[in-house]
Amino acid sequence: MKKQLSTFFRISVSMLVVSILLSSCEDEISPELEKADPILVIDAWLTDQPGNQVITITETQPYFDNTLPPGISGATVSVIDDLGNTFLFQEDAAMKGNYVWTPVSNEVIGTIGQTYTLRVVHENETFVSSSRMGRVPVIDSLTFTFEEKTSILPEMYVAEFWAKDFTGPNDTYRIKTWKNGVLLNKPSELNLAYDAGFSAGGNFDGVIFATPIRQGVNPFDEDENDEFLSPYVPGDSIYVEIHSITLAAFNFLSEVAIQTDRPGGFSELFATPLSNVSTNIFNENPNGKAVLGFFNVAAVSALGKKFEE
Amino acid sequence: MKQFILLFLISFANLVHAQNKLTINGYVKDASNGEALIGATVYVKEISNGVITNVYGFYSITLDPGDYTVNYSYVGYTTNSQTVTLTKNQEINIDLVAESEELDEVVVTAEREQANVENMEMSTNKLDIRTILKVPSFMGEADVFRSIMLLPGVSTVGEGASGFNVRGGSVGQNLVLLDEAPVYNSSHLFGFFSVFNPDAVKDTKLYKGAIPSRYGGRLASLLDVRMKEGNSKEFEANGGIGSLFSRLAIEAPIVKDKSSFIIAARRSYIDVLARPFVPLLKEGGALNFYDLTLKTNYTFNRKNKLYASGYFGRDVFLFDANQGFSWGNTTGTLRWNHLFNERLFSNMTFVYSNYDYKLQFGEDDRDSFKWNSSISNFILKPQFTYFINSNNEIDFGGEAIYYSFEPANAVGVSNGDAIDISLDRKYNLETALYVGNRQTINDVLSVEYGLRFSHFQSYGPGKSFQFNDTIPGLRRTPVGFEEFKKGESIVDYNNWEPRASFRIQSSPTSSVKGSYNRMVQYLHLISNTTASNPLDVWAPSSKMIKPEVGQQFTLGYFKDLGAERTYEISVEGYYRATENQIDYIDGAELLINEFLEGELLNGKGRAYGVETYLQKKKGRFTGWISYTLGRTELKVNGINRGEWYPTRYDQLHNLKIAAFYDINERWSVSSDFVYVTGTPTTFPTSRFVMQDILIPYNSNGSRSNVRLPGYNRLDVSFRLEGKTMRRGKERKNTDYWVFSLYNVYGRKNPFSIYFSQRDERTPQGTPINSQATQLSIIGTVVPSISYNFRF
Repeated sequence: MKKQLSTFFRISVSMLVVSILLSSCEDEISPELEKADPILVIDAWLTDQPGNQVITITETQPYFDNTLPPGISGATVSVIDDLGNTFLFQEDAAMKGNYVWTPVSNEVIGTIGQTYTLRVVHENETFVSSSRMGRVPVIDSLTFTFEEKTSILPEMYVAEFWAKDFTGPNDTYRIKTWKNGVLLNKPSELNLAYDAGFSAGGNFDGVIFATPIRQGVNPFDEDENDEFLSPYVPGDSIYVEIHSITLAAFNFLSEVAIQTDRPGGFSELFATPLSNVSTNIFNENPNGKAVLGFFNVAAVSALGKKFEE
Repeated sequence: MKQFILLFLISFANLVHAQNKLTINGYVKDASNGEALIGATVYVKEISNGVITNVYGFYSITLDPGDYTVNYSYVGYTTNSQTVTLTKNQEINIDLVAESEELDEVVVTAEREQANVENMEMSTNKLDIRTILKVPSFMGEADVFRSIMLLPGVSTVGEGASGFNVRGGSVGQNLVLLDEAPVYNSSHLFGFFSVFNPDAVKDTKLYKGAIPSRYGGRLASLLDVRMKEGNSKEFEANGGIGSLFSRLAIEAPIVKDKSSFIIAARRSYIDVLARPFVPLLKEGGALNFYDLTLKTNYTFNRKNKLYASGYFGRDVFLFDANQGFSWGNTTGTLRWNHLFNERLFSNMTFVYSNYDYKLQFGEDDRDSFKWNSSISNFILKPQFTYFINSNNEIDFGGEAIYYSFEPANAVGVSNGDAIDISLDRKYNLETALYVGNRQTINDVLSVEYGLRFSHFQSYGPGKSFQFNDTIPGLRRTPVGFEEFKKGESIVDYNNWEPRASFRIQSSPTSSVKGSYNRMVQYLHLISNTTASNPLDVWAPSSKMIKPEVGQQFTLGYFKDLGAERTYEISVEGYYRATENQIDYIDGAELLINEFLEGELLNGKGRAYGVETYLQKKKGRFTGWISYTLGRTELKVNGINRGEWYPTRYDQLHNLKIAAFYDINERWSVSSDFVYVTGTPTTFPTSRFVMQDILIPYNSNGSRSNVRLPGYNRLDVSFRLEGKTMRRGKERKNTDYWVFSLYNVYGRKNPFSIYFSQRDERTPQGTPINSQATQLSIIGTVVPSISYNFRF
C-alpha cells in the first residue's frame, strides 16, 4: 500500500508542488556515520525451478563502501525438508561466498505445502530458519497496451501480466520481471502482492491482480534529458515470474521497499525515518553472533513474450 | 483529594457568607465595532482587586455596599473610570475606545501592562491580532502559526510539517479549538499556513501548562482561537491581495447593537496563475486551498445571547480531473449565553466538527482506487461560572463528546471487480465533569484549583483484536477477536484530573507562580513519518491502546523592569511525565491496517526544560527574545534497546528573536530570527545486499542516533501604511502594503536526510552505489508582496 502511495505522491504531489510553488532542493552529502562491526548476511531465496540453487553468505559493509560485499567462505550450508531429505550446498570455488546445490537429473527443491529448514554453520555458530512453500497461480497471458501521451508521460506501450489469485486469503507473492533478459531490480520495481491486492485485511482475494501489480512489470527509465521512456517498444522481450513467498518474506520485502525506495522531494513528507528491516534467520544461541538474512523457498510460475507489433 | 474537598467547602462557606453583598456586572466591548473584549481588566480601586472579563466580555464582581471607583482597561484602549454608589445590584456595560494609532502602540504579546506579573495565569501566551499582523510572514500573509512559533516552548520540525510542538509534546497532543470546536488538522499546505483566517480571528491564547479544569483531552497544550463576532455598529470590510492568495472579510450589523455577522473567505490561486505555463494544470490538475469562516450572533435581551459560527476549509491537490488528494476541516458551533442572575453566568455550547481526507487514483472506472478517512464528533458542553465575591470565582460544568471514526473507507476496482478494503468504523463517547475555583487569599497569594473527572467509552458495533505475545519491537500478529454488538461497551476508562496553580506576588513588580496538572488524552494521532502530515489518522483508545496520561509541574518567576515597566522578564521551568505514550515498531504500517494495534508500542515519556523570555513592551522599538532549553524523550520496551531516546521533535536549543521598529508614521519594519537544534534522526551504520537491493542497516539497533544540522532563519518584513489623508480630507479607508523576505540569507535548512542506492540500473554482480541526500523544503529566499485594505 505504502509503495503505491509513495509512487502516487512522487508523481502528483512533488511534481505539482515543486514545479509551481516551492523550490525544494536536494544535495548529496557525505555525513560521518557511526562505526559498527560487520554482521553476517545470508541471502537464501530458493525456488522450485530446475537447475542450480545458490545461497550467498556475505558481511555488512560500512554504508558508503561502494564495493561488492565480501564473500564468506568456510560455512556448512544445508536445507532439510519435512521428509528428512537433505539438500547440501557446496561452496563455489570460483565465487567466494556462494554456496551451490546442483540437482541430480530432474531433481528440484520444492513441493507446495512443505516446510524447509535452513541450517548454516559458520565458525561454530549455527544459524537456522524455516520457510513453507506456498502455492502460485499460473500467468495466463502478457499484453502490451498503447497509451496516449499525457502531460508527464510520453506515448508508450505498457505491459501487463494477467493472472488470478487463488480463492482463500493469505497468499503472498513477489513478481519478478526481466526486460530483454535484464532483471528489473531497482527498489521502486519491487512488486509484491497480498492475495490480489496490497496488504492483509484487504479481502482482495481470488480475483485478478490489481492494476498497479499487473502493471508493476514496467520499467520507468528516463533518458539523458530526464524524459520518461516508453517501458517497452516493439522488439523488446518480457519475462515475468510469480514467486510464492511467506508472509514473513512479504513483510520483509515491504519493509525493504519502504527503506530503499526513496524518490525524494516532497514524497519525503510522507516518508518514515530509517529503521531496520526484520529478517528471519536466527542464531540458535540467542547470545551468539548476530546474523542478518532471509530464507524463502518459492514456487514459481513464469511466462515470457516478445513484443511484436 | 481530601484537601480538594476541604477547599471546596471553604469556598462554599464563602458563598453563603456572601449573601448580603451586592454585584456589579456587565459586558466590556470595543466602542468602534461592538466586539466583546476578552480579558479586559475591571479593577476596583478601594479594594485593590479586580476581575477580568471572560471570553464573552462578561464580568461580575461582588462587593459590600458603598462607594467605589471602578476602572475598565484593556491594552490599546483608553481606560474608562466609573464612580459607583452601590446600594443595589448594578449592570454596567462599558464600551472602551481604542487609543489612536500612536507610534508607541504596544504591539506585543502581553495582554495588558503588568499582565504576566499580576495575572493568575502562567504558561500562557495571548496573541492579539495586531501582533499576528506584524510578525514577518511567509508569502506576505499574516498567520497565527507564524506568531505562535516565535513563543517560548513552541517549535516545529521544519517547513513542510503540519502542526506544532509545545514543550516537547507531539503535534497530536495539542488541543486546537476554533470557537470551541476541535480542529483536527490545523494546517493548510503542509503547515505553511494555519486554517485560521486572520481577518476573522479576534483572540488567540496558547496554554502550555496550568490548564484550567474546564479543558481536557490533550496532554501538551491548548490553543484557544476565538472568532470575531462581526461589527455590530457599521459595515466593515477587510481584505488583502497577495502573491499566494486573496482574502476578503465582510462584517456588519443585522440589527444594530443586537445582531451582527462576519463572513470571511480565502482562496489560493497559484494554480490559476500557473495554468498557462504548467501542462499538468491545463488538464484538470489543481493545487489550492480555500476556507470560509462565518459567524453571527443575536442578543435577545440582557440575559440571553446566541452565537453561531462555522468554518469550512479544504486543501486540494489534483493530478488530473479524476486523480488527486484533498483534505479539510468542517466545524460548526452554536452557543447560548444565559445569565441566571447577576453572578451566575452560563454558556451552553453545541459543536460539530469533522476532519477528512480523500485520495483517488486510477485511469477509469474499471481500474481505480478511492480512499477516504474521517473523524467526526458532536459535543455538548454546559459551562457555568459563579462569581461568588471579589475573591472567588467558581467554574463548573461538563462536556460530552461523541466520536465517530472512519479509519479507512477504501474501494479498489481491478479490471472491473470492485473490492472493498474498508475498515470498521469506531464509536466512542468521552464525557467529563469539572469544577474549579479562582481564589484570592490575600494581597500576596492567589490560587486556582480544580478537578476534572473524565470517562471514555468505546462501544460496538466493532471488533477487538487479540494479538500474540512476541519479543517487544517485533510486529504482533492477531490471534483472534471478540465481536461486539451495537451499543455494547468494548472498553471504558475513568480518570481524575486534578489541576492546581498558585501565584505569590513577591513585590509590586514581581511574582512567583507554580502549577500542577494531570491531563488524560483518549485520542491518539497516529504518525510515524518524519513530520506530521495530512494523512495521519486519529485513533481512539481501545483495549490495546491505553489513554495517554501526563502530569506537568511548572514553576516560574515574572518580573517587570524599568520605571515605566518597559521590560518584562520571565523564567519558567516545566517537567512533564507521561505514560502510555505511543511509538511504532520498526517498519510499522499505519494506513488502512485493520491490525494497527499490533504495530504500536507504548512507553513512558518525559519532557523538561526552562523557558526564558525578555520582552520590550513600549517605545518605537519593541520585541522579544525567547530562549528555551528543553528535552523530550521516550522509553519504550522494544525500541532503542529499551533505553531513553529523544522523540522526533526533540530540540535542545530553541531561540527566537522578534523585533519591531516604527521608522516613521508610514513605514515600519519587523524581523524575526529563529535558531533551533536539528531534530533527531536515524542514520545507518552499514549496508548489505539482498536480492540485488542495497539495504541500509543500523547495526547498533539505535533510534534517533544522530541529529540534523541546526535550523536557522531570518525573515524581514516592511509595512507601508497607506496615506491617511487624500486631497486634504481624512480618508475613510485604510490600507497598507507588506513587503517581506522569508529566509533572507537563503539557508537550506534540512527537512530530512535519507539514504538510498543510486537511481540507476545495476547489473547483477556489480557493486551498488549508495548515497545520502539532504532535502530542504525551502532552499532560497522567498520574497513576496501583499496589499491589504479595510473600509
